[in-house]
Amino acid sequence: MARIQLTDLEKQYDDVLAVKGIDLEAQDGEFLVLVGPSGCGKSTTLRMIAGLEDITSGTLRIDDEVVNDVPPKDRDIAMMFQNYALYPHMTAAENMKFGMKSVSDFSSDEIDQRVEEAAETLDIADLLDRKPKELSGGERQRVAIGRAIVREPEVFLLDEPLSNLDAKLRVQMRAELLRLHEELDSSTVYVTHDQTEAMTLGDRVAVLDAGELQQVAPPQELYDFPANRFVAEFIGEPAMNVFSVDIRERNGHYVADHAGFSISLPDGEGLDTASDSSVSMGVRPEDISLASNLPDDAETFAVETTVREPLGELLLLHCQLGDDEIHVKVEPRSEIQPGETIEVGFDEDRLHVFDARSGDALYHSTAPEPTKSEAVATE
Amino acid sequence: MAEQTKPFDSKLQAAALLLPTIVVLVAFLYYPSLETFRLSLFESAFLGQDLRWTGISNFVELATSSTYRNSFVVSVLFAGVVVIGTLVLSLLISYMLFDVDLGSSSYLVAAIWPYALPPAVAAILLNFLLHPNLGIFTHYLELLTPWTLDWFNSGPQAFAVLAIVAIWKQLGYNIIFMVAALNNIPETLTESAQLDGVGRLKMLYKVYVPLISPTLIFLVVMNTIYSFFSTFPLVDLMTSGGPSGATNLLIFKLYRDAFEFSNYGLASAESVILFVLVAILMYIQLRATEGHAQYGG
Repeated sequence: MARIQLTDLEKQYDDVLAVKGIDLEAQDGEFLVLVGPSGCGKSTTLRMIAGLEDITSGTLRIDDEVVNDVPPKDRDIAMMFQNYALYPHMTAAENMKFGMKSVSDFSSDEIDQRVEEAAETLDIADLLDRKPKELSGGERQRVAIGRAIVREPEVFLLDEPLSNLDAKLRVQMRAELLRLHEELDSSTVYVTHDQTEAMTLGDRVAVLDAGELQQVAPPQELYDFPANRFVAEFIGEPAMNVFSVDIRERNGHYVADHAGFSISLPDGEGLDTASDSSVSMGVRPEDISLASNLPDDAETFAVETTVREPLGELLLLHCQLGDDEIHVKVEPRSEIQPGETIEVGFDEDRLHVFDARSGDALYHSTAPEPTKSEAVATE
Repeated sequence: MAEQTKPFDSKLQAAALLLPTIVVLVAFLYYPSLETFRLSLFESAFLGQDLRWTGISNFVELATSSTYRNSFVVSVLFAGVVVIGTLVLSLLISYMLFDVDLGSSSYLVAAIWPYALPPAVAAILLNFLLHPNLGIFTHYLELLTPWTLDWFNSGPQAFAVLAIVAIWKQLGYNIIFMVAALNNIPETLTESAQLDGVGRLKMLYKVYVPLISPTLIFLVVMNTIYSFFSTFPLVDLMTSGGPSGATNLLIFKLYRDAFEFSNYGLASAESVILFVLVAILMYIQLRATEGHAQYGG
């Protein structure tokens, strides 16, 4: 276990600032996921933690000790790479032992015993004599994990470890990684571009874009209360619907006006800033429902269905709303056809408003937990 | 896979396209080889105008000639020194080139440059640099070490100087291939080893050498061919086979027998032996390393 602290961490390549002042902390034993589109700086950040990239500025602490200039081998970390980085000419067992043998403070009995234990845990005991090319993708993955855990490091770094596996295996390995993390009780930093992986694995998820940290939060909080439009649209599949609206005050309450609808917004913080200016409103596809499923007094409006995508567990409709296209999730067996006009409404608890220019979240129709409890206390 | 498009309309067309290559091969490779083999069974005089069938007597003469046996031993020794010396030195230089972060391409150019120099030019230049009396290199060597360089008269010294020059000349070729092979190794292997704290030398012989072994085997074969056949200009311009046969490589001896002593029959027999010797060596090298080379995975 170890605590990793990144303070104003920056990485400059010749003329590109790849990582722009990241402040982030992984707690003892935490599973922290870095997620973002390609080129967002997540791998660079991980490699700086590993010591494979120099840190341009800022400080990196592991257990309160500054390790900016500590060589990788002295940071007590193990890293798993996307391509597993197994030595092709060595057997699985040799691969797992090679690193340990280089560190002199292990006796060979100890090494053998640890390899055996790791093989047992990972269910690869009968594969130990095989070379990587004789192993399947999933088996190689296990050997790579085995190599990482035999050293019992303080910190695990995983760089897109599941992206070379097929979909079914990926789901299986995801569960296994979680189980392993519980068992080993070490701190894990995990990099992925896949938001599903991020949501399912992370105790907390850090979203990065263009070298900047957008938000760090537990998965559900990230989903329910995105800090800005980027996070809102990156997390969730299909992405959140975002369209421009005007927010006006009417009789002490606020109303969102759009070419296709006009609805009143539940009172909440941030609406006064948003009013009388052009902002973006965000609603997730599952937070739009058919009028028939909403209470009688709900505000509804008409949209025209353009595309129908049956996904099995649900039906995804593409609908025309004014000049915008929105996605709506409805019951899988609805008989709605393209061209049909349907009456829909928003779940008024799940509305988000973002600044049109900066993209920062101005308002969530349900306030995030801590703020809510505070509000209750002051009342 | 079921349907394969035929690249040619007819076999005739395919044959016609192959013809130029076959003509060149026959005219400049197969015919001369056969002619050499035929000539080795004759005694020749008057620039090969007068041929007399002698059977294997040329080979018998070579087998019993102490000069030839000396030349044979010198050549094999020379090849051993050059092949091993070139491989070890270029491996170390390549590894450093591979490891260095800053200005690696200028180092690479510097390391490869000797290879771009024509052998004759290199031989003459080095003759000046290493000249026992006038050489600037000799001057400093004798100034800084207790040795005296006298390779015009000392056999072992001449052999060593020639071997060093031959190795130096061949480094570039080896380095190009080795650096390319090293750069093909996935970077994550290096990084993984860095995290584990694997030492650089250990990494070289435990990981890199096994991984680039196909390239190394190729280079062993190419260096063997080089040391037997392509070192002729160095011998010719630097030592002329001397002193007293210490650098009289087979390729040089057969040239003199043919073109200085006009003994085409005997020289042809030497050619045949040299060809068979190198062929056997290559066969052994390839067989011995079979199964050891790592071809990916």
